[in-house]
Amino acid sequence: MSLPPRPAPLTRAVPEGTRDVLPPEWAWREHLRTRLAGVFAAWGYRGVEVPALEFAAPDHPQSARAFKLIDTGGEVLALRSEFTTAVGRLVRARFPEGPFPLRLQYGGRLWLRTLTSELGRLREFGQVGVELIGVATPQADAELLRLGTRALETVGVRAVMEVGYPGFLDAVLEDAGLDVDARDALHDAIDRKSGADVDLLAAAHGLGAGVTATLHTLTDLYGGPEVLAQAAALARGERARAAVAHLEAVAALCEPGLLFDLGASRRYGYYTGITFRAYAEGLNQPVLGGGRYDLGGLPGAGFAIGLERLTEVTAANLPPEPELVLALDPAGADLARAAGIVAELAWTDDREALLTYCRRRGIRRWARGNTLTEVTA
Amino acid sequence: MTPAAPRSPDHLTLALPKGRILEEAVALLARAGLPLTLPEKSRALRHEFPGVTVLELRNQDVPVYVDLGVADAGIVGKDVLIESGRTVYEPVDLGFAACHLSLIREVGASGPIGRVATKYPRSARAYLAARGIPAEVVKLSGNIELAALTGLADAVVDLVQTGSTLRANHLEEIDVLYHSSARLVVNRAALKLRRERLRPLIERLRELTGSGRPGTATDGE
Repeated sequence: MSLPPRPAPLTRAVPEGTRDVLPPEWAWREHLRTRLAGVFAAWGYRGVEVPALEFAAPDHPQSARAFKLIDTGGEVLALRSEFTTAVGRLVRARFPEGPFPLRLQYGGRLWLRTLTSELGRLREFGQVGVELIGVATPQADAELLRLGTRALETVGVRAVMEVGYPGFLDAVLEDAGLDVDARDALHDAIDRKSGADVDLLAAAHGLGAGVTATLHTLTDLYGGPEVLAQAAALARGERARAAVAHLEAVAALCEPGLLFDLGASRRYGYYTGITFRAYAEGLNQPVLGGGRYDLGGLPGAGFAIGLERLTEVTAANLPPEPELVLALDPAGADLARAAGIVAELAWTDDREALLTYCRRRGIRRWARGNTLTEVTA
Repeated sequence: MTPAAPRSPDHLTLALPKGRILEEAVALLARAGLPLTLPEKSRALRHEFPGVTVLELRNQDVPVYVDLGVADAGIVGKDVLIESGRTVYEPVDLGFAACHLSLIREVGASGPIGRVATKYPRSARAYLAARGIPAEVVKLSGNIELAALTGLADAVVDLVQTGSTLRANHLEEIDVLYHSSARLVVNRAALKLRRERLRPLIERLRELTGSGRPGTATDGE
């Protein structure tokens, strides 16, 4: 056999943030996708597919970060940048009468123009997820937390689920008499748990010592179930008390071990109820994220799992690839496949070429007729 | 990706900047109860202590290591943290390494500002944009004052500690963008997953530095 072909010179073959997926990663990812879809289906979540091309809309939550294209009629289209908005559109158009609760699952690729640290340098990435639409009860929230935990367990990830409630923070700030501007600024400082920035803002907005002390308490309002008792002590107004009562009801419906962070308020204008994230044990990165939002008049909640991150996390405990043999005739291939072994068919009678191929592919056995034999020269 | 060495679940990895902050940081963390000593001058970049690993980094890299979760926590100046744009928790103002980021011009300069030189382009752009000044921002790596003196820029945005460099070079502060000091920064997931170790550390550091709690001493900036 001739020398192996020289590798092509490295060029800018794919746009930044995109990549080729090769074996065995492709197989791992499909395995994960299948297992997760199976769990979602067993819980009653039926699959839907939404187009990757959407009408660009300025009120889309990712509008500023989505890829835009111009359609033949001059209309601006966007590449799908998250699933929830698209599923919301689908539900309003296709299931206006429900029946609710409507349980749907989805999966596919997403694109963002800008890079984010959470996704590494990826601008094209895969997600699977679920939406539970039309109901807003503690039971519905608890179902999603349990389903998320179970789905991750199924693919071998022991995860800790952490629950937040951005509206609680906003309600406490409102009860403290803060106007919208002060609240906007403080959401960010408290979300970053920055006591120093809280002090700066408190001074800038002329807040008293009592209010400032409350703000500091909010930056420390994370941990186990004890957080809910501390939150209840802070809740003065109707909104804040309702938020704590809802969280207590959700916690009572979940298995123990939930974490809470009531200072978390990322994208607090978007979420209308709980938010949650799952952290894989021993890994300082979230593997699942979700929450409750308004789907154009319908209450919705759901979560998404990023497939690239999950593949990385689970690579160590994925099943090994099945053995590969080279079949010298179709009968040998049938025999191997019937035994659960992957069989490639020989393409030539040139024994030297077949031996070289076996060596390069790590093939240790070949199949002929009704026997499997060691590869020997 | 190199697999991490097997460690107990509550092992802490800390990202600390080389140089002067490292000495103060190690001293403070030791007083807060971590079994750290100042690493001897060596080529080692990773220092192992019982239950704690210290990564010795360029200060700009501390927020990156913490945000991406390779380090659970770190210590870094607020100036570097703002410039990094990274979303990490910053639960304690440690008080030391105090300085401020300022707009600086030659004494008496009064013409329009068309070009600003700085090591802090993100902060400089945000400041200029907020004031509607359409100046070009030039990123430099050191001796920023020289840019104002040589006419490379009409103004510079740089850190001021004592102001003696400014006086020696006939420069003056026009405006303060913000005050900075060293901060404890913590990875978002680590604060939750390792809270048994990190919460007591945070509490202890707050006591030691008297920061972040109303009713205790605050800085006089």
